[in-house]
Amino acid sequence: MATIYNKIVKGNPGVERFFLGNEAIVRGGLESGLDVYTFYPGTPSSEVGEIFLEIFRDVGMKWVESSINEKVAIEVAGAAYARGATVMVGMKNVGLNVASDPLLALATTRPKNSNSALVIFVADDPQQHSSAVEMDSRNYLKLFKIPALEPSNSQECLEFTKRAFKISRELKLPVVLRTVTMVSHARSNVVIGEIKRSEIADDFDLSREVNVASRLYFLELKEDQIYNRMNQALKMSESSSLNRIENEDVKNEYELGIITSGVSYSYVREALDFLELSAPILKIGFINPLPEKLIASFLKRFKQIFVVEENDPYLETQVMAIAQKNGLNLKIYGKDPFSYSKETSLLPFVGELNPTKISLALIKITHIAPKIDLNQIEGKKYKILGRKPILCPGCPHRTTGYALQKAITKIKSKTGKEIYFFQDIGCYTLLAFPPISFANVKYCMGSSIALAQGVAQTNGSLNIAIIGDGTFFHSGIPALLNGIYNKAPILVLILDNGWIGMTGQQPHPGSDTRYYKEGNFKKGINLEDFLQGTGAYVSIIRHDEGNEKEYTARLKELIYEKGLDVLEKQNLHVIVVKDECIQEYIKRHKVRVRHIDVELCNNCGLCYSQFLCPAINEKDDVAYINSSLCLGCGICEEICPNNAINREEL
Amino acid sequence: MTFDSYTIVITGLGGQGLISLLQILGNALMTNGHKVITAETHGLSQRGGRVICFLRFGNRLGAPIPMIGSTDMIIATEKSCILDVLKFAKPNKSTKLIISTDEKKIINEDYPSEKYLISVLHENSDNIYFVPATEIAENLVKNLKAANTVILGYILRFLPLKKEDLEESLKRQFSGENLDINLKALKEGHKLQ
Repeated sequence: MATIYNKIVKGNPGVERFFLGNEAIVRGGLESGLDVYTFYPGTPSSEVGEIFLEIFRDVGMKWVESSINEKVAIEVAGAAYARGATVMVGMKNVGLNVASDPLLALATTRPKNSNSALVIFVADDPQQHSSAVEMDSRNYLKLFKIPALEPSNSQECLEFTKRAFKISRELKLPVVLRTVTMVSHARSNVVIGEIKRSEIADDFDLSREVNVASRLYFLELKEDQIYNRMNQALKMSESSSLNRIENEDVKNEYELGIITSGVSYSYVREALDFLELSAPILKIGFINPLPEKLIASFLKRFKQIFVVEENDPYLETQVMAIAQKNGLNLKIYGKDPFSYSKETSLLPFVGELNPTKISLALIKITHIAPKIDLNQIEGKKYKILGRKPILCPGCPHRTTGYALQKAITKIKSKTGKEIYFFQDIGCYTLLAFPPISFANVKYCMGSSIALAQGVAQTNGSLNIAIIGDGTFFHSGIPALLNGIYNKAPILVLILDNGWIGMTGQQPHPGSDTRYYKEGNFKKGINLEDFLQGTGAYVSIIRHDEGNEKEYTARLKELIYEKGLDVLEKQNLHVIVVKDECIQEYIKRHKVRVRHIDVELCNNCGLCYSQFLCPAINEKDDVAYINSSLCLGCGICEEICPNNAINREEL
Repeated sequence: MTFDSYTIVITGLGGQGLISLLQILGNALMTNGHKVITAETHGLSQRGGRVICFLRFGNRLGAPIPMIGSTDMIIATEKSCILDVLKFAKPNKSTKLIISTDEKKIINEDYPSEKYLISVLHENSDNIYFVPATEIAENLVKNLKAANTVILGYILRFLPLKKEDLEESLKRQFSGENLDINLKALKEGHKLQ
């Protein structure tokens, strides 16, 4: 089987590869002499870090780490950049919020070492395929005042990454490389170039005058950032081949031109093909600072301009300003950004674009009659099954949810108190949805423990925070210490599955260092020891200890007992549920598939309609376990009231 | 240059190996000189949630998401999933619908009836092909996980690819026992009538 190394690193210049956008970004980094990559995993950005972690020792990079959170990732990256390294840092859109505090200072610093270059890779997720919120990170570019590039496919991911390093090295500004899900996670042909060795030197200059954000130096550096470095960036943008006009000489009867960038560009081409419409397209790759002169000269040629971009009207509002400044009177179509009106906006602020949405907007502008009736097709609705995202078969969170359900029923019937749940970011978020519905308030990474305090400090209910181990390390720790210090009567459930499960089982500081390649070089943090040190009441329960056929019963009793203590004695309790992510567990353990004894099964449905294991269904009036889905967690065997579930013999 | 392209929509459930299927097919097409793009839309579910993927190839790189009413082939690796993507079928009913006979039911929801399904499919296409991929995988290949590769073998007849091209691509993706299973599944799908 082709290893990641062979796939990404090997191959002579000119060879064609079928790369994900994210794989092409890795290759682009390697072709830029990359020394350091730091990241926090988050869909759709994670593959870049996973690949670098796998290969960095073999390709001779200086350092790669999956940092504890994005703030730390960008700080490690920032100082490596200051000291002369070629650095990239990666995260998803909301990660940039976490990293934004240090980035504001970092953006202004001006390293003195010639090799210093820093690229900030940010992957947005319009349509929030895998995100709790939808967020357009381009809005940060005006705050940070740093250059940014946006590729539209895998080949551009490689090339734009290389350009970003070149710009950063030359200007001594960090450069943002912004993608979206349909670029990072799309796969297409990529012609690879030559891998470049790192040129990092061991003597470097860390002068405080250019690296310290303080009253002594900051305003001067900020002036330099804006009037010198960003001014140079603007000149680059004006003449950059990353901004180009396609169909330059084409004319249409509507005197219509199109301005777009990123993946929207590819949708525009499809929409124009569909409508058999020709129009010049200004494709912006250098998205900050925008090339004002180029845009103005483009605008001058048309009576109507259609700006096509996903989410916020980042380009559109700037195009409007450029038109005004240049005294141009033309109609600019897009989102009608100042109206906040769905009726007048041709493209949505919310959700992903696609060629169909753009075609429909173009039809409104041009009144072209399309060859097929798109509205009629969109109107076709068939009866589909409501398949919702579900936890894997064998997922420990399902077991915890099941035990928690039983425990709270018992607490409610004993005390009559209301119980509220505060959720966090992880696979266990799925417990927030029916039929379980363990969620009253949920915001972002690490917020559950503080959210629980907000109700507990003002009301006599039982407030339960649910957080995973990865998220706890990421940003749950300060909130827990806040709760302990303020004597918040809350129950904290840390669902410790050992890994950052949702994004593909990446390790975090608490992961068992024996079970991942980089672990040889790490010192694992013992979560239990850490918690004991905080002075909180801490209970640990392990799935792999004690009688496994009594696990959910033990878990239920523990939650019941500690929940009552929170209510009665107003103590803060932490329960750590140690039950490994099934996707990792099966890598080191033989899967013992369960099967139904049809003689004993009375089809009570507990396993498939209450426990809701997706590997179990009903067939011929008994429960049926799909052997290709069962991952052998064995919880069904424990909870079956008729002892009708058996395990495969080893 | 006019855009001469072929678009396939693939739908199924998370955990069925759709992403591998895209890679195997895409790699083979790229090696044969096509510009290929694949994309997938799936939520945070690893297993069981609905997944819709696109694969497009031609003389120019297409967009990751195609126009509705414009695709050449739609593959459903679970039968009822086809109902969710029919807006991609061409109104002239020429789109090929390749549908696995596999049914994954959901507790407390009525699975679409055969009668309903058939009538809807005939509304949308004159080229409907049912493939008993799961049965073939279970009975002939002896491995349920190879069902998608059976479908891959089946659709070969409609694509500008040779069986050997896909075999090469499978070799890049799998090794050892997994490779043997998938090569067998490809063969079984290929010879299916």
